[in-house]
Amino acid sequence: MSRAEQASLEAAQWLTAQCDGPLSNEEQAIFEEWLNASDGNKAAYWRLELGWEEAGRINALDLGHDGFEPQSDSPKWRWWAGIGLAASVALMIGIYQFAGGWAVTQVGARPSELASASYSTSVGEKHLVGLPDGSRIQLNTQSSLRTRFTSDQREVWLDRGEAFFDVAHREDQPFVVHAGDREISVLGTQFSVRRDKDKTTVAVLEGRVRLVEMKDNRPVRTSLITAGDIAVASDTATFVGAKSENGVEQALSWRDGMLAFDQEPLSTIAAEFNRYNTRKLVLDAGVLGEIRITGTFPSDKPDAFARLLREAYGLRVDENEQHIRIYR
Amino acid sequence: MEDREIRDWFRREVLPLEKSLTQFIRRNWRVEADVADLRHDVYELALSGARKGLPHATRAYLFVIARNHLINRAKRARLVSFELVADLESIDNDPSSFDHERQLVARDMLRRVEKGLATLTPRVRQIVMLRKIHGFNTKETADELGIGLDAVRKQTSVGMRALTDYILGLGEEAERGVIAFPRRDKGKSK
Repeated sequence: MSRAEQASLEAAQWLTAQCDGPLSNEEQAIFEEWLNASDGNKAAYWRLELGWEEAGRINALDLGHDGFEPQSDSPKWRWWAGIGLAASVALMIGIYQFAGGWAVTQVGARPSELASASYSTSVGEKHLVGLPDGSRIQLNTQSSLRTRFTSDQREVWLDRGEAFFDVAHREDQPFVVHAGDREISVLGTQFSVRRDKDKTTVAVLEGRVRLVEMKDNRPVRTSLITAGDIAVASDTATFVGAKSENGVEQALSWRDGMLAFDQEPLSTIAAEFNRYNTRKLVLDAGVLGEIRITGTFPSDKPDAFARLLREAYGLRVDENEQHIRIYR
Repeated sequence: MEDREIRDWFRREVLPLEKSLTQFIRRNWRVEADVADLRHDVYELALSGARKGLPHATRAYLFVIARNHLINRAKRARLVSFELVADLESIDNDPSSFDHERQLVARDMLRRVEKGLATLTPRVRQIVMLRKIHGFNTKETADELGIGLDAVRKQTSVGMRALTDYILGLGEEAERGVIAFPRRDKGKSK
């Protein structure tokens, strides 16, 4: 095998591994050693990296019936957050054409027609929903949601979990999200709603939304939340956090398959990972929960996170099929 | 020079020249099988040289390296002839071809991606599309297609490399080369 071919094959192996998620620390070290071994390796790797990035342009191709589509019932829409809005809308409509014709029949529908549907995701799953009005919902792990559209109102019930909403602007047809005893109403904007046991969190990426506390089906209090705000509503209190775009971005990082933390206690982080994985992170009693950690981690790799803890904090890790136990 | 700067420069200014560079090597070297290797050497030399400071005129820099390297290789292989050296002296510096090479033009790139995709075997194409359009990782791709992880990795590597060749221009040249760019055979012998 020629030198060029050898370097190119090795580069492809590394690049493929990196497409599957961040390398572990050991892998990263081996990779860097390989990369730094020669300028030939660097040339091969950087060249392939650019080529493979450019190959992402196939997302802009109209592949029609020649295109291959996955057979799974629940494709993972991880590409969604990464590519341009216009392109993804176009592509989505295309893709839904094969996905059973649901969106096709809905796309051209007039708003006076009633449309109801329900969606849910299991642990670790994400699902993208295109709505008849052009709005889109991205459903996070372990979530369920129902929609009902009428000529004067677009309504969504977030029964559990978390969802990101990208709402198409419609002057005369408000978009309302029902989350327990809270109602979030908007005209057109981007925001997420998350329900936990005892609280509802709304993070606004763009535009503004109205958060209404409901009692016996009647509004009792209203707060206006604008871009960059995160509101936490619990019982009769609604707390709007200080403006921070980082905060909102962090709250939405799950859309890219990542979990972002800023000085969060380990116990919170473990609970977050456990939302996404059936294999649970278990912290040994006491001591550990208070360690605070900042960083961004892939949500589907609790084991990689645990390895990091082992290396960075000298904690011990015990893994089996169901659990990843962390102790001193 | 930081690696990061060198990498940026390599992506921004060197790789877009791959098509011309490959043409240049192919025109001046009779053994087709050596072309990819020679280009790899030129890249390696270009990176090493840039470590002392990025060149002002990347194209001239790259082609001088290419010429010198070909001459050295030819000497070692006792292939050198006056004709070869004469050819190599007249490096194509046509400024008009210079401008549109500076960046990989989006529309052109899209066409290359499309054509490149068409040259892949159906299985490799499927894998590339699952990964690039649907964002599947190795495991998800393997599950989807009911094949092993190693097969997915291997085919991904094949697709990655073939598309890169195509996108940066070699594939297209190789394809057209037979008709439009017959290699000159001036009777040089080994």
